[in-house]
Amino acid sequence: MSSADTAIETIELDILGQVCPACLLVVLKQINLYRDRLRDGKARLLVLTDHRDTTRTVPASAQKMGLCVEVRKVSTYYEIIIGGKS
Amino acid sequence: MSDCSKEQENCLAYVQYIREKTNQLLEVMGTEPLHEEELDDHALIELDPIGTIAQSFGHILEYLNETIRELQVAKDELQAIFDATGVGISIIDQDFRILRCNEMQRSLLVAPGNEDVTGRYCYDTYGNRSAPVDHCPAKYSFATGQPAVAREMIKRGKYFQVVTTPFAWDENDRVTTVIEVSLDVTEKKMAELAEKEQREFYLTEKSKLATVLESLSEGLLVIDSDGRIISANRSAAACLKLAETEMIGMSVATLLPGLTINTKMLQMVDLPYTPPDAPERQLSLNMSPLLDSEQKYIGRVITFRDSTEERKQQEMYHRTEKLSAIGQLSAGVAHELNTPLGSILGYARLLLKQENLTQQQREQLAVIAEQAKKSGSIIQALLNFSRHAQPTQCRLTECDLNEVIKSALCLLTTELSKRKITLKTDLDIIPKVCADPGGIEQVVLNMVMNALQAIGKQGEISIKVRHQSGGIRLEVQDTGPGILDEIRSRIFDPFFTTKPFGEGTGLGLSICAGIVNENGGSIDIARSGSSGTTFVVILPCKEAGDA
Repeated sequence: MSSADTAIETIELDILGQVCPACLLVVLKQINLYRDRLRDGKARLLVLTDHRDTTRTVPASAQKMGLCVEVRKVSTYYEIIIGGKS
Repeated sequence: MSDCSKEQENCLAYVQYIREKTNQLLEVMGTEPLHEEELDDHALIELDPIGTIAQSFGHILEYLNETIRELQVAKDELQAIFDATGVGISIIDQDFRILRCNEMQRSLLVAPGNEDVTGRYCYDTYGNRSAPVDHCPAKYSFATGQPAVAREMIKRGKYFQVVTTPFAWDENDRVTTVIEVSLDVTEKKMAELAEKEQREFYLTEKSKLATVLESLSEGLLVIDSDGRIISANRSAAACLKLAETEMIGMSVATLLPGLTINTKMLQMVDLPYTPPDAPERQLSLNMSPLLDSEQKYIGRVITFRDSTEERKQQEMYHRTEKLSAIGQLSAGVAHELNTPLGSILGYARLLLKQENLTQQQREQLAVIAEQAKKSGSIIQALLNFSRHAQPTQCRLTECDLNEVIKSALCLLTTELSKRKITLKTDLDIIPKVCADPGGIEQVVLNMVMNALQAIGKQGEISIKVRHQSGGIRLEVQDTGPGILDEIRSRIFDPFFTTKPFGEGTGLGLSICAGIVNENGGSIDIARSGSSGTTFVVILPCKEAGDA
């Protein structure tokens, strides 16, 4: 792990078992809370979800706010990593 | 209804209102509405969905404004590039109307006073035409959907290279807009035309020079700095009896071994040259350095001509001059001596008739008479010589050389019969020669007599006559001891003889040379060595076509 990675704070948001659009509202609330730090690249929001629609609605909204989004499939759930300027 | 139930009813209405508004906002965000089972009223109120979405909208709006600002800057930058670029750019729609054009395009192609070109037809605005031409690149791009290049278009007196690129398409994939880029290539075109003109000029000059070199009567060789022949003209090939292709690449030191190529300049240098399968020739040669445009030495130019015949003519001329001078002198001396010698001979003979002479006196008088007679013969020879040394005294007529030779040989029958000398004649049928028969007979006599004296007691004399280009060739060959190289150049000089003192006058061959010269011919030694000598006489003849 590089020194740059170590300097980035990871905020984990576990919404496994929840479905959209409740998931979207929960994630948006977290983004609003940490938005400046997420845009500056000082923090990243790691969302754990098992609801497929969330992997569509969350990235679409986050990107409209100028944030970078990456979606990964991890075994039975998804990781959505939000952070940095798009 | 109690106050409590009224408040509860208000709460439910409030939550319902929140849920409806939240669903409206979620719809704007492109997602489905909330279901009560996934978020109960309490969790909904705690999540503050309207506040959350409103705040997110604020962030989206902020990002949108940021992006708009960036786009505006990019647009301004693009406009600046569009206007500042060195090429003219137009955006043209499928009706050939100009949607936009930059400043360069305007300055290059738009007539002053027509600055506002938006919406006007490009063929009218740029080309002053009523319709697009067949080779219009925009027309091609609209028709094919492919980029097109017109390498050279002339507009308003300038040369352009025009490139069109499809820019937008409709739902049927048909091109609706093209970008046309016009590059002013006038300077490049002018430079190309100037270069072409210059190249044609140089090619013409080169052709002229090549023609001049080929038409030169002098041979010309160009050699590089390593002494290799890089160019040779036709006269050089003819003179050196080699093909031009044979000479190219050959070392000049190999071709002309006697040439000192270390010297930069040579003027009128005589150089012997032996062509393949031909006798040695003399070349008169000049050599100059060959310089490039920066005056650097890159080789040499050698010009030359075959001076063999010229040198023979010069020798002949000098000999004639000498003969003429000696002839005049001889005539004067002979005339002055003839009278006193006649007196000496006459008185000697008169005294011999006296009877009272002693035997010794008689013998002495006989010697005086004999020597005076011999002196008289010498004077007669001198007079003959002087007569032939005067060119005006010769009368040329058409005569048969073979008959003249036969007539001369008749006179030698007695002399030949005394010795064991075989005389062979090989006389071809030849045209008549223009000559003085008496003089030519004298030449044949002198040459055969000379051969007889050279052979001595036993040998062979061959007389051959042939018709060749330029005249009749008469050869008199003997099997005598030959003529030494060191005296060859003097053999035709008057009074030059190899015979012992008192036995020859040294005028025989001089007289021959004089007569032949009078007859417009030439005489020379063709071969001389230990196996004998061959004299060659060339006489002009009357050719079949001559009047």
